[in-house]
Amino acid sequence: MNINKTRFWPTIYLIVVFILLYAPIFYLIFYSFNAGKYMHDFAGFSLRHYRQLFNDARMMEIVFNTFIVALLSSLIATIIGTLGAIGIYGTKNRVMRNVILSLNNVLMVSPDVIIGASFLIFFTMLGIGLGFGSVLMSHIAFSIPIVVLMVLPKLNEMNYSLLDAAQDLGANSWQVLTRVVLPYITSGIFAGFFMAFTYSLDDFAVTFFVTGNGFSTLSVEIYSRARQGVSLEINALSTLMFLISLILVVGYFMIDSYNSGRKAKKGKLSA
Amino acid sequence: MKKLIYAALAIILATSLLWVGSIHFERAQNAETGTNGNKVLNLYNWGDYIDPALITKFEKQTGIKVNYETFDSNEAMVTKIKQGGTSYDLTVPSDYMIQKMKKENLLLPIHKSKITTLKYIDKRFLNLAFDRHNKYSIPYFWGTLGIVYNDKYVKRHEISQWNDLWNSKYRDKIMLIDSARDILGLSLISQGNSLNDKSSADLQAAKGKLDALMPNVKAIVADEIKMYMVQEEAPIAVTYSGEAAEMIAQNKHLHYIVPTKGSNEWFDNLVIPKTAKHIAAAYQFINFINQPENAKQNAEYIGYATPNAKAKQLLPKSIRTDQQFYPSAKTLSKLQVYQDLGQKKTQEYNDLFLEFKMTNR
Repeated sequence: MNINKTRFWPTIYLIVVFILLYAPIFYLIFYSFNAGKYMHDFAGFSLRHYRQLFNDARMMEIVFNTFIVALLSSLIATIIGTLGAIGIYGTKNRVMRNVILSLNNVLMVSPDVIIGASFLIFFTMLGIGLGFGSVLMSHIAFSIPIVVLMVLPKLNEMNYSLLDAAQDLGANSWQVLTRVVLPYITSGIFAGFFMAFTYSLDDFAVTFFVTGNGFSTLSVEIYSRARQGVSLEINALSTLMFLISLILVVGYFMIDSYNSGRKAKKGKLSA
Repeated sequence: MKKLIYAALAIILATSLLWVGSIHFERAQNAETGTNGNKVLNLYNWGDYIDPALITKFEKQTGIKVNYETFDSNEAMVTKIKQGGTSYDLTVPSDYMIQKMKKENLLLPIHKSKITTLKYIDKRFLNLAFDRHNKYSIPYFWGTLGIVYNDKYVKRHEISQWNDLWNSKYRDKIMLIDSARDILGLSLISQGNSLNDKSSADLQAAKGKLDALMPNVKAIVADEIKMYMVQEEAPIAVTYSGEAAEMIAQNKHLHYIVPTKGSNEWFDNLVIPKTAKHIAAAYQFINFINQPENAKQNAEYIGYATPNAKAKQLLPKSIRTDQQFYPSAKTLSKLQVYQDLGQKKTQEYNDLFLEFKMTNR
């Protein structure tokens, strides 16, 4: 009885929070199937906005470009960020290490608008034309600190004697890196990659400043279109994006539980 | 390690697939119109401020590919152009911003001999204070500031002037657009002053009068005003004609009026920025968009008022004679255009508006 009572309110609270979080998304998804033109007065079920979306070659090109930038920038940022984290981890001088780490964190907390504006000035000063290259470079730049922050705790968690043991057994530094360090921090690297990916995908402020010459990303395009009221084509697109991310999350969860299941099995066998 | 390498390879593979897809859609866009990407025009416009069918038509006619990029405020557009790094060939600033861009040497003069379609433009929209003799700009669309009301709650003719907003029966019923110059402007006009008034005493008086309006104000909002009015959150709103046209399209109970004793009249104009690289294409586009049948199609799509006299004649009578969006000559003579006030005065307007927003109700 007592237990039920204590569980009741937390459950209600949880449900309310989830409703608050998801209601707008489902509202938006619901109207993407509207036969009418607006986000009110549901006029019947129709897929016309989806058809319109797939026929909008400009929109589709932008969707593809957005994903290319997100994947590529987070991949490169993950490589640079991981090496950076290992570098910070290996810095013996405490002061130096804190300075580097703080410089890394400053980039995390400084407002996107300022970062974007400074990139714009930087690129134009160097005479780099705005477009795919400038967007990619700036996304890499703002993703690196995120990756560093995701990977570093994993490194700190690692027992240092593992490295000593590997070296004692005759491993050179390349072998230590690829056979001991990287496998240990793999989960941190993946987490860093996914964080960087989502950051890049939904970044507006920085991207807005550095797009140009015919290249644009989703967030910038949607924001500009919203001036005339959001068309339901955007709803259709958001619905698809929501589904894709749902599939990704479910897929990630299944792979994860499959792997841990396998690990547990392995552990049992060897024991 | 293996896992990481596989993951990286998978990402690279996915990226290349996406890249192929992206090229496919770029080709699809080109194939649709028969352009090959050699001849281009970089058009920098407000979001959804041209009929996309017209862009396709232009591409088909000329073989020039149009890169259509969008912005959401005059200020953002100017920042981008000022910084360089882009090569926009054509953009669409509003009146006061043209004045400012002119001062900062961001525009190229337009050779009027090359604009063969200038003759279609109503003389009323040429040679205006913000750009004498149209040295730099060609009118694109125009509109007004006015009042939207819902006929379910407010009777026709109950509101016809700015002063009617102060009526005590509209307590908590009015929504205002969040714009310092427009709202202080309506107060200035209601007191018989100019929209470009620079006298601090007049501005103080206008602000004082606005404070008295506060009990009637339900909210001061930006773009959301459209949604609120359509959903009948408030019966009265002060907003622009273009926004009003869209509200009316979504809710038949809404009507728009321009106060006959005076209001603001604004213009969006085509200009060629300093950064332009395809100037010939820009001229071609200006001429194309001002062909009467094209201008008419564009006006029907956007719902704003066209400055193109010939195109206006082609519009259906119901639109052409709609006093809401094409006010009578008498009202037109009372409309005023914003001028660039300079940084200091602009700041004074903004400060007073901020004070007004903080007034206790």
